[in-house]
Amino acid sequence: MSAFVSRKVSDQTADRSIRLWLGNGALVVSILYVLLFAFYAAAQGDVFGLQPMNDLANDTLPLALAAAGGTVVMLTGGFDLSVAGVISLVNVCIATQIGDGPLNALWGLLLAILIGLAVGMVNGALVAFGKLQSIASTLATMIVCSGLAIVVLDAPGGNVSDFIADNATDPILGVFPAAGAIALVIVLLWLVVRSTAFGVAIYAVGADETAASLAGVPVLRTKFLAYSLGGICYGLAGFMLSAVTATGSPSAGTPFLLLMFAAIAIGGTSFAGGYGGPIGSMVGAALLVLLQKALFSAGVSSFYTVIFQGAIMILAVLVGGISASIAAGRSR
Amino acid sequence: MQHQTDEIDDASGGPAPQTPVLRVAGVSKAYGATIALNSVTLEVLSGEVHALLGENGAGKSTFVKVLSGIVRQGGGALSLDGTPYEPRSLMDARRSGVSTAFQELSLLPNLTVAANLTLPHPLKGGLGLASRSRNEARAVELLHQFDAADISPRSIVSRLSLAQKQRIEIIRAISHRPRLLVLDEPTAALAEPEWLFRIVEQLAASGMATLYISHRLSEVRRLCNKGTILRNGDSIGPIAIAETSDNEIFRMMVGKRSEERRQVASGSSVVRDVAIEVSGLTGESIHDVGFSLHKGEVVGVAALEGQGQRELFRILGGVARPLRGTISLEGSLVNLKSPGQALAAGAGIAFVPEERKSEGIFLTQSTCANVTLPLLNRLSRFGLVSSRREYAVAADQIQRVQLAERLLRLRISALSGGNQQKALIMRVLLSGARSLILFDPTRGVDVGTKQTIYEVIHRFVQDGGSVLIYSTELPELVKLSHRCLVLYRGRVAGELSGENLSEEGLVALATGHNIEEIRSRETA
Repeated sequence: MSAFVSRKVSDQTADRSIRLWLGNGALVVSILYVLLFAFYAAAQGDVFGLQPMNDLANDTLPLALAAAGGTVVMLTGGFDLSVAGVISLVNVCIATQIGDGPLNALWGLLLAILIGLAVGMVNGALVAFGKLQSIASTLATMIVCSGLAIVVLDAPGGNVSDFIADNATDPILGVFPAAGAIALVIVLLWLVVRSTAFGVAIYAVGADETAASLAGVPVLRTKFLAYSLGGICYGLAGFMLSAVTATGSPSAGTPFLLLMFAAIAIGGTSFAGGYGGPIGSMVGAALLVLLQKALFSAGVSSFYTVIFQGAIMILAVLVGGISASIAAGRSR
Repeated sequence: MQHQTDEIDDASGGPAPQTPVLRVAGVSKAYGATIALNSVTLEVLSGEVHALLGENGAGKSTFVKVLSGIVRQGGGALSLDGTPYEPRSLMDARRSGVSTAFQELSLLPNLTVAANLTLPHPLKGGLGLASRSRNEARAVELLHQFDAADISPRSIVSRLSLAQKQRIEIIRAISHRPRLLVLDEPTAALAEPEWLFRIVEQLAASGMATLYISHRLSEVRRLCNKGTILRNGDSIGPIAIAETSDNEIFRMMVGKRSEERRQVASGSSVVRDVAIEVSGLTGESIHDVGFSLHKGEVVGVAALEGQGQRELFRILGGVARPLRGTISLEGSLVNLKSPGQALAAGAGIAFVPEERKSEGIFLTQSTCANVTLPLLNRLSRFGLVSSRREYAVAADQIQRVQLAERLLRLRISALSGGNQQKALIMRVLLSGARSLILFDPTRGVDVGTKQTIYEVIHRFVQDGGSVLIYSTELPELVKLSHRCLVLYRGRVAGELSGENLSEEGLVALATGHNIEEIRSRETA
């Protein structure tokens, strides 16, 4: 009898791990990534060398950073549109205000983070303490930032210092892509944040604000911090975009708006909040960028790229939804 | 009026006066013009399980919120172990030694059992970060200690059954080792309440005070010696539970009002044609509900919170769909897929929902536009609505609900809650429907508006219309209805009419007591 019981329990745990595995959006999108990468390798040929890997990482990182930040806000149940404005503003500031040399580069990095943090704090204050709708407040801050970007630099131009453009985009010590290293640092940082009371609170607030407050979670502070953290990520995304493109444009951030939400959806984060995570979104961003490259190397006109991006978003959301419903269905 | 029963000797019989763990003296709380708590006075001693009883709307949930630090009392004083107790937040209350298991459950569905049990501050490991293994170990410890080892700490809460969730909610409240434990309807979802009784008795023996809020008298008798009754925001008590009969308790919950004479039932003529016939209606929270509503009749529905009344009314209003069962209007079966269809079906069913602000009205529109909404087809020419004709129709009808004409031009959001409700009722009258489905139409409105609404209902049924009304206020149902159905756990627990329609009878049925049993006990 007892043997039977314990057997039953172990069956349940096995079943549960399968369910967790299926319900994990990051995993689903990672598998899609590997499949697409195989196709890309076949179409492109040399993709495993340091240089192609480095290029791929550089192209991926800005969107991945933005998506990571947007996800933190999304997990609390909010939408953050300010990403486009922040990236543009940071980009034009880096391209016009920052001189050459390591000290200036450090100042540029700090400036990018500060701009992102400031906008994020405004968003957070409006949404958490002002009780405004997140879409409306962040749309407003996005517009303000885009306007400021035009004031700083009214047409594409400017020049990103060589020090930033080289050091942030070349392999570190000639062995490992800098962009890849930064992505890893962000992933590690997120794993740390997730293991704090604040990290747990983000998920709690996103799932059910009332229940969270009845459980003692500081709902307003959590929201405020989430928008602030998101802003920092957009600032970093703007910095990396400047390093990769080496030039400034007041509309540099515009394409990021929709692609960021696409990356978040592909990565398995619920737009209703409470489920998912930045790691899935970063892989989702990588998938979108890889798709662009794969289509380019397969000779598909760039006009079609966007269509494929939309299609793969539907595919990822479908696959994610199906596997999540299988995961949930097993338990019912 | 404060009805005070005699002091009861402390069960221990010791002469030394004991400082109560919780002392509440004349606590009040008002939300705007609505008085939720008028004056509440009670004491809970160390080791005592004190019952708090009351009908819907008596102020129980407000009192729980005051105790848990979610809202602050308006007046009066609270003290805990002899020192003043004024919690400013839930965490503040918890630090002072008060923790609450909430009726609506405060668990996060997307987190594991372990994460929920350690909210909001997960246990930290070596690096100062939350350690999953330590949190899980803590959860296992708690689950074993409180006899819930069948629940895995790694389970995601959304996958647990309602009973399991309720146990976790209770265990979390207990895990903070409170001086005072507040249990708000803790057995609503528990299949096996003995589990809770064992734990509460064990903790009471070690000196914890418990405030036990329940509408199940059998449980209260099992667990509590003393209790306090809340009625309209006033406390009555303390009463010795064992020495007070069920009927006396019901009477205290209901108060003097029940002696008021009923007016409607005798006065009007009930035409015996069936307007709505419902049979075997089953949904997510209702089971096999059947009844008929005749023309010229007001049928009341009484129930405690969450007994399925909401779903029943939403189904009849065309907002929700039943799983099984039939609805027929004047003898012909109908399938109500939307409120619009309900309005158009047969003689028409108009529904006044519970959430006025979110379901009933368009806050940004004028009062006039709100009330003429169902008439837009009739008012428009070539698809365009003439605002002059719209206004004329509204102004013509307005005295029926005693709404000042100048209010028609205002935005409806500028109106008081009572006037908004009048406008909403006016709208269903204008719709021409012959059956009204009213879900708590007098909630949160002033006395004058209530009277107007009563009169409107009166006149409506005298003209041959029929009304199904749910209200949280039993005296209102007794006064208005010809017959009253009582829902309990999604089923029709009974029906009272004529002389038998009394508040005591409704309370008894609504709390799951068999009315025959009570009567026979009374005569015995």
